[in-house]
Amino acid sequence: MEQLTTIGLNHYLTISAFLLGFGLFAVVTRKNAIVILMGVELILNAANLNFLAFSKYNGGMEGVMFSLFIIVIAAAEAAIALAIIINIFKLFKSVDVSSIDSLKE
Amino acid sequence: MHSLIQLSIVVLLLPLLSFVILIFFNRKLPRRGDFVGVGILGTAFAISAYIFWQVVVRAYDPAFRIAWDFTWMDLGNVPGVGPLQIKMGVVIDNLTSIMLAMVTLISLLVHLYSTGYMAGDKNYGRYFAFLGIFTFSMLGIVLSDNLFSIYIFWELVGLSSYLLIGFFFEKQSAADAQKKAFLANRVGDIGMWLGILILYSQFHTFSFAEIYANLAAGKFALSNAWLTAAGILLFMGCVGKSAQFPLHVWLPDAMEGPTPVSALIHAATMVAAGVYFVARIFIILTPDALHVIAFIGAFTAFMAATIAITQHDIKRVLAYSTVSQLGYMVLGLGVGAYSAALFHLVTHAFFKACLFLGSGAIIHAMHHEQDMRWMGGLRKNMPWTFATFTLATLALAGLPLTSGFLSKDAILAGAIGFANVEGGGIYYLIPVLGFFSAMLTAFYMGRQIWLVFFGESRTHLKPVEEDHHAGHHAHSSHDAHSDDHHEEHGVHEVSWNMRAPLVILATLSVFFVYSPDPLDGAKGWFMKMIPTPATVVGADNPQIGSMSAGVASPHLAAVVVPVPTEGEAAAASHGAAPATHGVSAATAGSHGEAKGGHSYSDPRQAEIVHAGHAAHYTAIYISSVMVVLGIGLAFIVYVFGIIDPDKTALALRPLYLFSLNKWYWDEIYEATFIKGSMSVARIFTWFDINIVDGMVNGVATLVKKFAFLNNSFDKHVVDGAVNFTAFTVNTTGAVLRKLQTGKVQSYIVMLLLVVFGYFVFYFTRLIH
Repeated sequence: MEQLTTIGLNHYLTISAFLLGFGLFAVVTRKNAIVILMGVELILNAANLNFLAFSKYNGGMEGVMFSLFIIVIAAAEAAIALAIIINIFKLFKSVDVSSIDSLKE
Repeated sequence: MHSLIQLSIVVLLLPLLSFVILIFFNRKLPRRGDFVGVGILGTAFAISAYIFWQVVVRAYDPAFRIAWDFTWMDLGNVPGVGPLQIKMGVVIDNLTSIMLAMVTLISLLVHLYSTGYMAGDKNYGRYFAFLGIFTFSMLGIVLSDNLFSIYIFWELVGLSSYLLIGFFFEKQSAADAQKKAFLANRVGDIGMWLGILILYSQFHTFSFAEIYANLAAGKFALSNAWLTAAGILLFMGCVGKSAQFPLHVWLPDAMEGPTPVSALIHAATMVAAGVYFVARIFIILTPDALHVIAFIGAFTAFMAATIAITQHDIKRVLAYSTVSQLGYMVLGLGVGAYSAALFHLVTHAFFKACLFLGSGAIIHAMHHEQDMRWMGGLRKNMPWTFATFTLATLALAGLPLTSGFLSKDAILAGAIGFANVEGGGIYYLIPVLGFFSAMLTAFYMGRQIWLVFFGESRTHLKPVEEDHHAGHHAHSSHDAHSDDHHEEHGVHEVSWNMRAPLVILATLSVFFVYSPDPLDGAKGWFMKMIPTPATVVGADNPQIGSMSAGVASPHLAAVVVPVPTEGEAAAASHGAAPATHGVSAATAGSHGEAKGGHSYSDPRQAEIVHAGHAAHYTAIYISSVMVVLGIGLAFIVYVFGIIDPDKTALALRPLYLFSLNKWYWDEIYEATFIKGSMSVARIFTWFDINIVDGMVNGVATLVKKFAFLNNSFDKHVVDGAVNFTAFTVNTTGAVLRKLQTGKVQSYIVMLLLVVFGYFVFYFTRLIH
């Protein structure tokens, strides 16, 4: 019972794993590039969650610092990715990744 | 470095600059750049004149000598040779500065003259470039202080001579003449190089001064015969370059070059280089070597003079006369009349250059007619040329009051003295040949003057034939006149730039330039400034130290003892009062004593010098008689017509033909050396075709067979391997191409699968 009432490390890790799974699922299956980007954000946040959880149960501030960096970098990454998506849209008139396969040639 | 040395190097390099400018840029310059050549030579002459003034006039010291050298190549210790160091250097003494002034002056005058003579030639600019490199090399010979650099410049002079003889190279005869000149010179140069090597093998130095010093110290380890051989081998260079018998055959053919070139190279400077070179090595020549030199010189002088009397071509007469006069100079050196020979070199350079330039003016005015039989009566049309040509002729014939008289007489006096000292009958052949040649000289020059300038014009007598001269070096200004070629009014005096050199050179052929006494050159500055150097090799023993102590000749006592005191007095007073020096020398001269304040430790040399001075007046009498005889004979034959030259020629037909055909030397060489080398060449050709070619062809067949084997190996094994590789790569590529879909998500799935696979692999490893 006690395990159900107290939130422990495993809970965090489980949620983090689910987030990672959802993120990967979104990245692999969705066709819309923006949704794929959202999946990437999920993966990043799963990593954040892992850092914070380990930081909490391990003591020390390294994990917290790392997650802060990841948030900042994720923001930058989102901005760049959106810019890339806008340029892809300008070029192909579409953000459907399944139809963009000019790398094949 | 002494400032005169610096100036002399500037003089040396200026003509090279002219060459470089003109050979590369003559087409870009106005007037094809002839003003560059004339201007640069003018500057060079001005500097040389300054050196001459400083050295000969101001210093007035027979022993004046400054030298400078630097190590050009240091090859370290060469196995089998020892330490090998090659130096380059410059020496300035009286002889050098006189030659420097003479060469640059004549070169300048020839440059100036050529602006008129060569005008309109299609290779006008290149002509001046070649004159530049010639002057450079000639100055190099004059300034060199060692055998090695003199040899380099020697070859350069040969090259520029080759280029200028064949200047009209479209003409077959000119191309042949240049080859002949080059090959004949090569024969002499090989000997010269061997001579240099004999000396080098002993002393390990090329420098003149060091060779003299080593010889004087008796360091020549080989026998005396080797020293004689070295002297004769070195003299072979002179035989080639100064056209002495037996290599004289190239010089008359060299007249195919432009006439100003003949004046500069084949009369005044280059051919004198041989004489200059022998003068430089004079003191190491043994008496035996000197005898050879004297006989070759006397024979050459005589032979060339006999040929000159029957030649028809105006330039060929002068060419043989040049050979003859060079023979005189060589004879003079051989008999020990060193100063006289060099004196003759300088006076001959001026009057012979004048004669050649004069003949060039005649040829120019006659529209390239060179045959004297079709000339005549030119004195009215060409008064300037006539006057200067006659003056130079008198100098060449050796009439009193001319420069040629002074120098030729001094040589002949030396020859008589030499024969007196040697005492043998055969040695009297040398002065006899010399005097006889003097008579012949007067005769053929009288004939030439008469045929060219006097009488009536004989141009209309010329048999009609195709004029092959006009086609090759036609002059634009005269082409218009070529149809009135046979008319008298086509002949006229040449322009000022061709006349001025004639006047200057004729002026330098008068006695007062060289000596105050018209009968005795020894009283002039020239022979005082260039005294005969004391030899460093004795009569039979190179160790002269023991020689002078051991043998006491009566002449040695008479000559050597009083002279040093006079020499010291002269040396002490020469700066303050050269006039006193002149007087004392004149007094000594009237006694028939050795002049110039020089002592000779070798008794033989002292005797010869002494006897030469004693024979001075004898020589004057005989040579004057001979000259008058020669000129008289020319007058009898050609002016008064008492003896008809054609009938005489018929009466003496074998002799006439012998002379006209130049003693058949060309035919003899044709039959011996040329035929000989041709048959040797044929043997080698056979050897080449049958043996060498057979070997080469056999090897070729083997190689061909091997190549066939190699080819099939290539086709089946090497090509198979290459094709199999290509096939493998192709197939793999076809499979892998399918993986590349271009879709980002499929790449990500692949990535995930790989990562997953890795984890599975890792964890299974971890578990086990």
